[in-house]
Amino acid sequence: MPMALSTQTATDDDQNILLARIDNARSVSNILKAIHFKETATVFASPMGLKVTVEDAKCIQANAFIQEGIFQEYVIKEEQITFKINLTILLECLTIFGTGAVGGSCTSLKMCYAGYGRPLVLMLEEEGVLTDCSIKTLEPDEVLDFNFSSTNVINKIIMKSECLKEAFNELDMTSDVLEFLMSPDAPYLRLSTFGNAGSTHSDFPKDSDMMESFQCAQTQTNRYKVSLLKPSVKALALSSRVSIRTDNRGFLSLQYMIKNEDGQICFVEYYCAPDEDVDDPEH
Amino acid sequence: MKCVVPGANIKVFGRAVHSLSKIGEELYIEPLDHGLALRTVNSSRSAYACFLFAPSFFQHYDDGVGDVSSQDSDDTLRCKIAMKSILTVFRSLSTMEKTVERCKIKLNMKDSRLVFQLYCRHGIVKTHNLAFIECETLQAVFSKDMCPNSLTACSKLLCDAVMNFQNNQEEVTLIVNPEKIVLKNYVEDEPDPTKVMHTNLSLQPEEFDYCQIGVDTEVTFCLKELRAILGFSEVTTLPVTLKFETAGRPIVFSIDSDSTFEGNFVLATLADQLTQSQAPTQSRSTTQKSRSSMKQSRTPHSRSTMMNHRPGNGGDNRSNTRNYGQSNAAERTDGLEEFMNDENDFDEMMIQHETTINHRDQTNIHNNKQTIDSKHKHSEDLSVRSKGDNSVVNSKGDHSNIDYSMEIMRSASPTAGCSKTNEESPVIPILGSRVKITDRSLDETDITMEDGNHGNDVDNQDNNEEDDEYIPGTPPAKRFRSLFFGSQDLTQTQHKASTSVVLAADSDDDE
Repeated sequence: MPMALSTQTATDDDQNILLARIDNARSVSNILKAIHFKETATVFASPMGLKVTVEDAKCIQANAFIQEGIFQEYVIKEEQITFKINLTILLECLTIFGTGAVGGSCTSLKMCYAGYGRPLVLMLEEEGVLTDCSIKTLEPDEVLDFNFSSTNVINKIIMKSECLKEAFNELDMTSDVLEFLMSPDAPYLRLSTFGNAGSTHSDFPKDSDMMESFQCAQTQTNRYKVSLLKPSVKALALSSRVSIRTDNRGFLSLQYMIKNEDGQICFVEYYCAPDEDVDDPEH
Repeated sequence: MKCVVPGANIKVFGRAVHSLSKIGEELYIEPLDHGLALRTVNSSRSAYACFLFAPSFFQHYDDGVGDVSSQDSDDTLRCKIAMKSILTVFRSLSTMEKTVERCKIKLNMKDSRLVFQLYCRHGIVKTHNLAFIECETLQAVFSKDMCPNSLTACSKLLCDAVMNFQNNQEEVTLIVNPEKIVLKNYVEDEPDPTKVMHTNLSLQPEEFDYCQIGVDTEVTFCLKELRAILGFSEVTTLPVTLKFETAGRPIVFSIDSDSTFEGNFVLATLADQLTQSQAPTQSRSTTQKSRSSMKQSRTPHSRSTMMNHRPGNGGDNRSNTRNYGQSNAAERTDGLEEFMNDENDFDEMMIQHETTINHRDQTNIHNNKQTIDSKHKHSEDLSVRSKGDNSVVNSKGDHSNIDYSMEIMRSASPTAGCSKTNEESPVIPILGSRVKITDRSLDETDITMEDGNHGNDVDNQDNNEEDDEYIPGTPPAKRFRSLFFGSQDLTQTQHKASTSVVLAADSDDDE
């Protein structure tokens, strides 16, 4: 099918059921990079904005929220639009003019979607140079519902991302698991790895000035596969604050507050299922 | 054992660990009463490094001796840790500098873990529980005071000099005479010398903080290791002191911060054929030196003399004096006395230890016996001395032109009052790659030397009086060496292979 034709029709606004325009494409691309650990992502568009979901191994799910207020223009003609797309290609297109935040030059983005079976059309412009991309959309798969509800949350910690960044960057990758211990008593929050060199523990006291909120009802120790959590480092790196929550099943929710270049706030969250065999006495 | 590194010193400590990691794969840790010793040796035993951090370096230092809870048999911790393990603790030095307020190192005997606790900003505590292996002390016997050549330079000078060499340059040669100091890249005989780039850098003695050239010489050593040394010295901005004698004798790089810490890197140097006979001079350094060297760990300022430890060679004392004309009489005497006292220990040690070079048992035992029997007899041939002997491996006697002489003594728990030498394994200072067979013209000379003198080199004026008990007719050390010195095998084989390629020009055509 001739790409040129489909591009032309796609830019016809009447056809589009979704249209989003933003002056700085990096506001979208940076957030999406934070969840880019698989090739494909599922996009959910609603009047509230965009939610992009990436999953792996049926154990981990990352969601990026780009609310409609971020966009200069956001028009949606349906209540819920869902499609799957190749995230790698989407990111390459979004960053086609380069990734650097150099010299104030911004790439502006216009995204259009004409409905089921139609491609996602991007138009990017920087300093008079225009690029248009048409990316095929795919049949959306069902995404996991981790059923993580606030009512089941046992422990919740909100802290500044800075100190956690270091701990995650230096995660001992020879360890299979990352163990989260959250407790109303010392050591309060402890991240542990058990690798070839030995065990490593990072303790974060609840009265640290890095802690913004510490609500732990009971001592919980849960282990998660390092390989699954490692991608969350990207989101952590962009974020300024992070909330760590575990529920009664030991599921972990990490929510990252990310400020984009224009000072607007977006959220990325990661859900992770615990590694079984948690009941090893080894510590 | 428990010690606390204050935040200000973590950078230095971490850098020391990093530079050690570029030398060897395992870090030997030993808390001594005069400080914490971190040591390593490379796989081919041609480079040894030791950092000694005095108690003043720490906020709190407790070497654990006399610690009630520890076992009697190992009341001091002597352990080694994989470099990778400790690098996980000191991974990101720049971050550590900013965030770590202090680092506590302690021994958790119960779980057999060496614990590094980093107390960081914001109340964060990072604990690393590292598994260690108990081992004997790693200690090299080397001499600093007896070296006729000594250069001290700020590390910037050396860094700038070293920058001129390609990154893949393996070895450099330092050529010294009182007028100038030259650094050049070392090129093995290539089939076509015109295809190789030669870099030659000259420095004036005035550029050095201190320059004393007693013996005009050329020493060749590994550049990669020098870079590791400079990586550390750069950070501390302390000057680096080079002490060396001549080709074949080790070169010692020292970084000394008054009495807070001291770093010593001992690199083996290439011995070329002409100076090969000098190798025997190693034997000059006797045990007494080694004894003093064993004392090294006890007295931070003791510059243990002599690389080669030969049991029973009290006579070296004489030779040392003669050759260097330096008066370390006091030290030597002390060493000698100590040596005498320790002689029995050596006997025992030698009996206890396995010879790593089995096939040489006969040769070496023979040698050793003699050396033990007569203290003043220079029985050594520079070939491997086995058994408890701080063997120096000189490839003298081989056709190989490369002799790296360095002796590393492994000692286990200290016997009362003596240096810590329970176990000694021979040290083979052979630096892998260089079995040179290419210089044909000299081969014959070699052979002559070997048969005739066991290394009492005719050419060598300086050295001498070795009464080597080298057993003539023993197959060239190099061949056997290859059996024992792991990495050597490969390099030797490789070298041989490459040599054979050179020899048999057609082999390539077969492909």
